[in-house]
Amino acid sequence: MEYIVETKNLTKSFGKEKAVSNLEMKIPKGEIYGFLGPNGAGKTTTIRMLLGLMRPTSGSVQLFGKDMKNNRIDILKNVGSLVENPSYYPHLTAKENLEASRKILHAPKERIDEVLKLVRLHGVRNKKVKGFSLGMKQRLGIAAAMLHQPELLILDEPTNGLDPSGIIEMRELIQSLPKEYGMTVLISSHLLSEIDQMATRVGVVTKGKMIFQDSIETMRKIAQASIQIKVNDNEAAWRSMLANGQKADLGEEHINLQVEDDEQVAASIDYLVQQGFSIYRVQEETRSLENIFLEMTKEEHAE
Amino acid sequence: MISVISSEWYKLRKSKVLLLLLVAPLVGLFIGMSSSLGDIGAINPWYEKLVMMNFTYAVLFLPLISGVLASVICRYEHQKGGWKQLLALPVTRGKVFLSKYVLLLLLIFVMQLLYLVSIYLVGMIGGITEPFPMDIVWKTIVGGWMATFPLIALQLWVSIAFKSFAAPFAINVIFTLPTILVINSERFGPYYPWGQPFLMMNIGGSAEDFFFVPWDQILMVVGGSFLLFFIGGYLYFQRKAI
Repeated sequence: MEYIVETKNLTKSFGKEKAVSNLEMKIPKGEIYGFLGPNGAGKTTTIRMLLGLMRPTSGSVQLFGKDMKNNRIDILKNVGSLVENPSYYPHLTAKENLEASRKILHAPKERIDEVLKLVRLHGVRNKKVKGFSLGMKQRLGIAAAMLHQPELLILDEPTNGLDPSGIIEMRELIQSLPKEYGMTVLISSHLLSEIDQMATRVGVVTKGKMIFQDSIETMRKIAQASIQIKVNDNEAAWRSMLANGQKADLGEEHINLQVEDDEQVAASIDYLVQQGFSIYRVQEETRSLENIFLEMTKEEHAE
Repeated sequence: MISVISSEWYKLRKSKVLLLLLVAPLVGLFIGMSSSLGDIGAINPWYEKLVMMNFTYAVLFLPLISGVLASVICRYEHQKGGWKQLLALPVTRGKVFLSKYVLLLLLIFVMQLLYLVSIYLVGMIGGITEPFPMDIVWKTIVGGWMATFPLIALQLWVSIAFKSFAAPFAINVIFTLPTILVINSERFGPYYPWGQPFLMMNIGGSAEDFFFVPWDQILMVVGGSFLLFFIGGYLYFQRKAI
């Protein structure tokens, strides 16, 4: 499999604190990779290392199969980025801001108008950026990132400060990139709901560790319904079921049953009845992706 | 490299700070026109004007303005994440540092040329009939410029390191003000980097030396402090976490 981004044992320590620890990120070509984690999980630190703005304490970063350490300039020619809050030169207009980057990127002059139209800032291109709203600055940042039609677009919290219609626009824009330009997109967020609808792959990071990395379908599968059973003695019932070779978790007030079809539910209940447990309730619980995400990141906090 | 310099120039040109380049030459013009030292035994009126003008210009304004320009060229990078944006582009930090430095040198050279115009204007307005002493004047222009190389390197270093505009300026003033005293000391004057712009523009200096100061002093003091400050700033910038 060809990976556009691949990190190996990526670690960054600040003093004793490990902001990122042994992170293995893999992003195949053409995917929209949602990089998820609560604030302070190490997302931005990871992204800074992906861009060579920060040196890893240990481990390696490979983009397009090339090592960041020795091919930084080569790699960055094909990467567009927006890191954390939007960066801009307040004394320049929108157009001038892009021109300052364009000179270094050697992109054709027409691209400036093209990207400004793409993010719908063309009408205010001659206004100073210091007067822009946060959403406009954010869109300008995205325009700057796309100036040279990069193969990889890295967007750190790009929907920060956007209003709902801005978020929808942004989502549509990002979704069109792999199809129309063959771009690969890495997009970080602390809100799953923002990424849910556009990401094709997800990486969940918390406390600097990658705790989940797979396709969004796999994550959805985990989110599928589970059956909750409440009996007179939950713990005894749970032990009994485990002994019988059934998959179950013990919750606070009920047993969670992981089942694939209805027959299995019937068989489990049948078994519990035979064992003499009084069944109080059987209910289905659907978990949202958001719940899963919260659970994933919570477990780590509990440590 | 050219593209990085051109981008730097673009950003700087759009900030109105270039007007700063006019300040020092105008001050020179003003001093040259307003007062007279009386008879200081100068060979001709041009020399008299030069001695007067060079003092204020080279001791105070040349070093101060150079420092301010260095701060300005880093200021808009500090303001709203400019460093991050710039360094995520396909450029090496070395090139960015060098581009900013080269651009500063060019700007100071332009300022020196404007100062040259000031000198000429003072003479014209003052009705000096003797021929313009170009052979001396160009040495003060080029010499004074070279003497700012290390000062600019240090100011660039400090300006990259501090987000605030005030810190580099304070450091600049702290080193520049004592120049007035230090250049009068025969023992310390020749070794003080901030005194070199004046000494290299001081037409009353030793006449046998090409730039009014001995070559070994230029190499040791100007060259030495240049290497120290430039390499220090360069390495600092390489390691700075953005």
